[in-house]
Amino acid sequence: MRLTRRDFAAGIAAGIAAPYLIKSANAQGATIKIGMCAPVTGPAAESGGYAIKGAKLALEAVNKAGGILGKQGELIVEDDQTTNPGIVLAFSKLASQPDIVGFLGSIRSTQVHAMAPDVIKLGKPVMIGGTDPNLTHMGNQWLFRCRPNDSYSGRVIAEYGVTTLAKKKWAVLHSTDAFGTAGGKALTAALEKLGAPPVLDQGYANQSQDFTPVVLAIKQSGADILGSYFTFENDLGIFARQLRQLGVNIPWVGSPSIVNITALKLAGPALYNTYGVADYAEDSSEGSKAFGKIYRDAVKVAPDNQSSWTFDAINVMAQAINKAGTTEPAKIREAILAIKKFPGAEGEYNFDQNGDGLHGYNIVKNEKGNITFDKHIEFND
Amino acid sequence: MDLALQLLFTGIGIGAVYSLVALGFVLIFRATNVVNFAQGEFSMVAAYLMVVAVEAGLPYWAAFIVALLGMALLGAVFNLGVYYPLRHRSYLPVIIATIGASILLANSVLAIYGPQPQVLEGWFETPGIQVGPVYLDSQYLLIIGVTICLVIFNFWFFEKTLLGKKLQATSQDKEMASLLGISVSTMIMITFIYSAVLGGLAGILVAPVLFVSIQMGSTIALKAFAATIIGGFGDVAGAIIGGLALGVIETFGAAYVSVPYKDGFAFLVLIAFLIFRPQGIFGERVAEKA
Repeated sequence: MRLTRRDFAAGIAAGIAAPYLIKSANAQGATIKIGMCAPVTGPAAESGGYAIKGAKLALEAVNKAGGILGKQGELIVEDDQTTNPGIVLAFSKLASQPDIVGFLGSIRSTQVHAMAPDVIKLGKPVMIGGTDPNLTHMGNQWLFRCRPNDSYSGRVIAEYGVTTLAKKKWAVLHSTDAFGTAGGKALTAALEKLGAPPVLDQGYANQSQDFTPVVLAIKQSGADILGSYFTFENDLGIFARQLRQLGVNIPWVGSPSIVNITALKLAGPALYNTYGVADYAEDSSEGSKAFGKIYRDAVKVAPDNQSSWTFDAINVMAQAINKAGTTEPAKIREAILAIKKFPGAEGEYNFDQNGDGLHGYNIVKNEKGNITFDKHIEFND
Repeated sequence: MDLALQLLFTGIGIGAVYSLVALGFVLIFRATNVVNFAQGEFSMVAAYLMVVAVEAGLPYWAAFIVALLGMALLGAVFNLGVYYPLRHRSYLPVIIATIGASILLANSVLAIYGPQPQVLEGWFETPGIQVGPVYLDSQYLLIIGVTICLVIFNFWFFEKTLLGKKLQATSQDKEMASLLGISVSTMIMITFIYSAVLGGLAGILVAPVLFVSIQMGSTIALKAFAATIIGGFGDVAGAIIGGLALGVIETFGAAYVSVPYKDGFAFLVLIAFLIFRPQGIFGERVAEKA
């Protein structure tokens, strides 16, 4: 057979077009794929396991109810190793798969900051659990938060401590990572607004082995109440034990990590009678109760926010894609922002134009290891 | 003053843990001229062995013995699997092999036991005692006591026993030791076993304070490695003093200067030593010996 110039040109054109055609065909595959970056290894591997279980349970329910755009949903998990480079790598692996229509990012703000530039480049929706308020206020239109941000948690901690517990001399303790710093700032600002500026603002580095200097600083400050933002449960457990051992028994209102399962197991009685702001509290709503039952039946442990936010993230994304009627990113984005009064495990979702779905927190108390719901505080601003 | 005393006690307690792990670094370095970067993982593996043994229903003391026996076995396997095949190569392949082994150990425990951090109860029911203004954590008291005992034991073992002298001879000159009829490979095997047991002991002792997690070994090992350099690489007394100094410096630095830069103080001291006294505190004595 003689190869003409026209045949040759056609062959080259086909060669160039083929990868795109194959990618396009894959994108219209048998399932709708959702990518998830989760800590399978590293310090947060335990909570990462809970997060994956939450997402899988939601997807099972979505698939049973007819799926996404009539197809079955499929979860593709990549290990973020609980590190910033890890999540950048995990996200780039997922982003290189064109048939993935949306993503679940991290519950850790620091990691979300690390992956955020790549999220903008990709231009597809990413559901996040990181609570640094800046994440949805820095011009990244593809981040959607399925937990209330720390501007709310700071206000709720301050409000509860000053008004309900009637304490005015605050020690504020926070991690020095993005989450802890933002949380500490939000709490300090809220306390100043209430006329009770903290007597101690103390940062600490993650993965500390000893908190004696911190506890002694709290003791010396004369604080009569402690507000905290801990990132890792190991740190919280070590601090809680040393706090009690060194005789500091002032009331303690902490960020959500104070009531998560791992922290309760590690710290044990050292966390009894503490208060926490919790985005997930089992008795706070019908949606929360329903999730609690599904989770307990399937996983056999008590649910916490590690699993509830991923459960909601999948449900929100599935509903948005179904409403949009397409997997086109811009249409999904519009559909997510249009979601109002959606009953999730974390509470009622009303997305604002920044991409924040929730605008309030629950106050819970640790009563001998049992987390009891006190009240929900919602903000409308 | 009360504050300083409390900080001193805690600093010595955490420093004693660094010392125990640093001692393992030093012993292996003296015997083989390589740094064993899996030393921290020995601590982590021992802590998990202890948890498994306690969960299996063994009494605490029996679980302790089982965990240490397990570490002795691990030390022997480590020598045969990681060091022995590469013993005639330069130090670099051996160091890389120890890094590989540390990753293997961490991921093996992760695969077998899962990522969940575990709680290991301490030896004593009383968490601590109040002596005047200072609270003495019973676990830290135990760690300090064990470190003191080990310092005495090491002195006696290496200076007064034939086996200890054989180990010293091997570490100083393998060829000469061999000519004198000492089995060098046996001495190196004993060193690995002893170092694994020491690392394991540190892990078991610190586990009730720091919890049992996959990362616990690497966190301690990093500081222990710094302590080894500060004390003078290759010197037993240097490892002990270096570890204790590091623990005290970082605790006081955190309390009086800045908590978030606590780890920074340890490494500032390390950098200062590397610049002004790279041989470490006891470096000169070792140089004279050589």
